[in-house]
Amino acid sequence: MKRAIRIGAGEALVLTANRLLDGLIVWRDAKGIWQRSIAHAAILSPEDYESALEAAIKSAQSDGVVGVYEVVVRPGLVAAPVSVRERIRAFGPTVHPQFATELDA
Amino acid sequence: MKQFDLAPARHPAPASLEIVPVAEMTETTRAIRLTPEFDVETLGTALDHLDLIIVTFPIFRDGRGLTQARALREYYGFAGEIRAEGHLIPDQAQFLRTCGVDCVLLEDDADTTPWLRALSLFPVTYQNRLGLR
Amino acid sequence: MNAPVGLYQYQTADREFLASRIAEFEGQVQRRLSGELSEDEFKPLRLMNGLYLQLHAYMLRVAIPYGILDSRQMRKLAHISRHYDRDYGHFTTRQNIQFNWIKLEETPEILRQLADVDMHAIQTSGNCIRNVTCDQFAGAASDELMDPRVHAEILRQWSTLHPEFTFLPRKFKIAISGSPHDRVAARFHDIGILARPGENGPLFRIFVGGGLGRTPLVGHELFDSVPEADLLMTLEAALRVYNAYGRRDNIYKARIKILVQALGIDGYRKAVEHELSLMDPAHYRLAPETVAAIQARFAAPDLTAAPDAEARLKNDRQSDIAFDRWVRSNTHPHFAPGRIAVTVSIKPAGGIPGDATSDQLDRLADLADQFSFGELRITHLQNVVLAHVAQDRLLELWQALNDIGLGDANHELIGDIVACPGLDYCALANARSIPIAQKLSARFGDNALQEEIGKLRINISGCINACGHHHVGHIGLLGVDKRGEEFFQITLGGRDDALSRTGDILGAALPEDDMVDAIARIVDRYLSIRETGEQFLDTLTRLGDAPFKEAAYETV
Repeated sequence: MKRAIRIGAGEALVLTANRLLDGLIVWRDAKGIWQRSIAHAAILSPEDYESALEAAIKSAQSDGVVGVYEVVVRPGLVAAPVSVRERIRAFGPTVHPQFATELDA
Repeated sequence: MKQFDLAPARHPAPASLEIVPVAEMTETTRAIRLTPEFDVETLGTALDHLDLIIVTFPIFRDGRGLTQARALREYYGFAGEIRAEGHLIPDQAQFLRTCGVDCVLLEDDADTTPWLRALSLFPVTYQNRLGLR
Repeated sequence: MNAPVGLYQYQTADREFLASRIAEFEGQVQRRLSGELSEDEFKPLRLMNGLYLQLHAYMLRVAIPYGILDSRQMRKLAHISRHYDRDYGHFTTRQNIQFNWIKLEETPEILRQLADVDMHAIQTSGNCIRNVTCDQFAGAASDELMDPRVHAEILRQWSTLHPEFTFLPRKFKIAISGSPHDRVAARFHDIGILARPGENGPLFRIFVGGGLGRTPLVGHELFDSVPEADLLMTLEAALRVYNAYGRRDNIYKARIKILVQALGIDGYRKAVEHELSLMDPAHYRLAPETVAAIQARFAAPDLTAAPDAEARLKNDRQSDIAFDRWVRSNTHPHFAPGRIAVTVSIKPAGGIPGDATSDQLDRLADLADQFSFGELRITHLQNVVLAHVAQDRLLELWQALNDIGLGDANHELIGDIVACPGLDYCALANARSIPIAQKLSARFGDNALQEEIGKLRINISGCINACGHHHVGHIGLLGVDKRGEEFFQITLGGRDDALSRTGDILGAALPEDDMVDAIARIVDRYLSIRETGEQFLDTLTRLGDAPFKEAAYETV
């Protein structure tokens, strides 16, 4: 997915997708496994995220995911997406706190 | 490439016709390939000497070929063969057939099972039941 | 078993059609999982079965044809929300219902469950003809010229799996009303149809090229008096022109409104007339027998009421101020003596507009059985209508609605906010629309205050796709992304009736809390400058937006 993305100083990237079978949001960890929680996402540098993204897109069908793309984050105990949209996607709808994503899943 | 018949062709075209892009058609052309934006009304009397018209789908969700085929049959009474080429999916089989397409061009190794299945799916359509088509 | 009242009674052929559709979809899912179908190929196919991939999961949009369903269907929706989703559903501005947490692997089973009660999700998305919407008071309102439901059903059938129009340049939305007051926003649809009785049968006035979104445009009249026999032929011709000439190079320029704008209405009409000249009217004729056969599959309720029903209602109104207020705001006159149409507000103060829990859905089904022949309607303002309530039972109904938290007396008042799901749920949004809707409806929750303010429609869209129809709000809010922050742009003066127009931008976009305060100031200003009996739109028309702009942007 070629889109212009802005990566600020100190920011990094993680890879995300939807699981094909249930549509739930997943994050790619260091072993290439798609995890439910952003807490497990591999933090990638601006310099080398593109090759990881390419590899993830290539194996999307066999991994059972769709819509693989990169999200800009501020690294931390749990990576924090920079944009409101990606935060809501990672952590759950703000109007239904009961549906918040379990971060230690 | 191989041909898959959606229905028995009304007047199947001879197998080895030279297919010409519609823009290059002459009085002796018997087979043409249309582009999706082509207005079939402009064919006029050329239809008299055409045995085969190919409607093309740059991508399956560009439905203009369906309107072209339907117009050729309904408005101009074209009784030759209409073939669909390009990017097509089996799920379009009945739509293509109902709009007057006789056959589709598939890769040599294409599995025709989903095409056969798609053709058998909706024995009765709402348009039939309303008395249209 | 009694035929369901007010909706089209399925027969074997209809049910077999659904079974074929489910078999087709199951095959498509299998082929997607195996990789035989790519995601790009599968996506349009799943969209045409209502399945979107959204911000958190798959969302399923179930069709409620022309907004009407019966109690057993409502109970099935409750069941689906309970067993396959998270215990709630969302009513949309196109009279459908959405479930936000659906799994693809469970969708074939969900479709089977829906088919058990003659429901489906066919063509609720995709570049095809979508759910035909209809007047929520069809077959009930005393001011109705003609009940449009039979023709809505005919249009539904005509447009379902249409062989030529399943791969249009873009989505296509049709609305039909039989009221002299356009209650379906016909002039903002790709095709809007106003039906009326004529000397020799129904006549249809057809608008084309309306729409909201990036390029809001009011539709133009295509033909003013199409006779019934030619209705389908006319629509065929209109769609043929669109399918052939609608733009396919840019999804933001692909709706029919852009084509009509480019050709001009006269140019577009000429193209349609050219198609019509090539078509054989006998082949496309909508025969009276066909209409009658479909009409026969709509059972009519026995609307006789107790002779003292009206008197009893009068009495009940005097006994309870809150009830009296609710009758003023949430009921609509019925043509049958002793009956009345009720709008159940799905906009509780501080709540999520249009959301109902599975318990509420079940309870609404019960109330429909008890009060309105088991029939319910979903409105394009995201409310529910019980159309045939006996006036002497209205108080009982209201009390039951209060018990389930749906008794707000706010229909078409400031608390009756129309909002899209917004950034909390939708991958397309720039801003969250629900929290600001909640803040506004909580701020103005008091029913007496709402009545005092009078008719005031707030519409909120989370992005320019305008699913919240903000362009036609008396006050419209549009979520925008300003340097990564959620801001709201405000428009005033939109309306979707016979005087359809889109609102005008008032001033700079504001963040959420500032916008809530700004709207409160606008309302205060209106209350202080209005003349007796003036509604908000009247005052705005009389004075222009200057006083409201001043109030909104007043710095403290």
